[in-house]
Amino acid sequence: MSDSVPANDNPDNDKPESIQELRNSFMYGSRSDLNFKFTRDLSDAEFGDFLSELFAATARVADGADPLDVVDVAYRWQVQAYAGHLGDPKDFPHRKDDTPLTAFTKPLNEAKIMVLTSSGHFVEGDDPEPFGETNMTQAEAESRIVEFVRSEASLSAIPVDTPAADIRVRHGGYPVQAAAIDPQVVLPLEHLRSLVDAGVIGSLTENAYSFVGATAQGHIKRTYGPAWAQVAKDQGADAVLLIPI
Amino acid sequence: MPTVSVYVKSFGHIPELMGLSRSLITQHPMGRPLGAPGDGERQRSVVEHALSLLGRTEQTIEEFPEAYRLP
Repeated sequence: MSDSVPANDNPDNDKPESIQELRNSFMYGSRSDLNFKFTRDLSDAEFGDFLSELFAATARVADGADPLDVVDVAYRWQVQAYAGHLGDPKDFPHRKDDTPLTAFTKPLNEAKIMVLTSSGHFVEGDDPEPFGETNMTQAEAESRIVEFVRSEASLSAIPVDTPAADIRVRHGGYPVQAAAIDPQVVLPLEHLRSLVDAGVIGSLTENAYSFVGATAQGHIKRTYGPAWAQVAKDQGADAVLLIPI
Repeated sequence: MPTVSVYVKSFGHIPELMGLSRSLITQHPMGRPLGAPGDGERQRSVVEHALSLLGRTEQTIEEFPEAYRLP
């Protein structure tokens, strides 16, 4: 095995890659992996501790331990990075909304429920075609994440009786592997239909809705919030299940 | 419009910071808010739990009590 420095995000390849550059490379860099983009927000020391724990868990799994041990290490550091570093109120970019909550007055078994998620799902044949492009790949969506953040959001209507096999996903802001294998990790149409059949929910709106949540959040709140609330009213919804990704 | 939100724990700080009405936090990795692929039992449990919060009349942030699992 070569001991040379691999291709990295350092523009000067004559220099060794720093730990910070290594951490950053997982977030839309040369090693982009959205499951691990949180490493950008760890300190170098924390990154070392994360790798140490990950290696130890991998060795345990190799010796017969529960594979979830590895997942748990990644999960705990993901939580620490996002909630620990980004959860500081002074760093949060949005003002707290103190609007009183709207009471839900109808029995759930009589209510019509709508689903809205920021997962980036759409129905096969109804591609939202971001930036006018057809069949944009997931890799391209990730590479154009900055453009997505600056672009207008597009709401995809997904009829609630759509078979899972007809649902596609593309989103440059989160790891979509799970949502591509099984849309119900975030878009639970089959479960909601079965809850209607079981009499737990009264009914579902004609459509569920999904959009690419990697877009300007303040703009969504000011511009799309009222419009999408009207969509829910137009669909006859009594309540909305929101599943941000 | 009454709403209930489901967040993974990595973003579980957002409902309080934004003053959301009703939220359920799951101990799941990012990208799997309702459960692992193929874990229909967990996904449905999370959905039912979330919908049960709709009746709350004060701001509610509740954590789904079970850890992530593989089917």
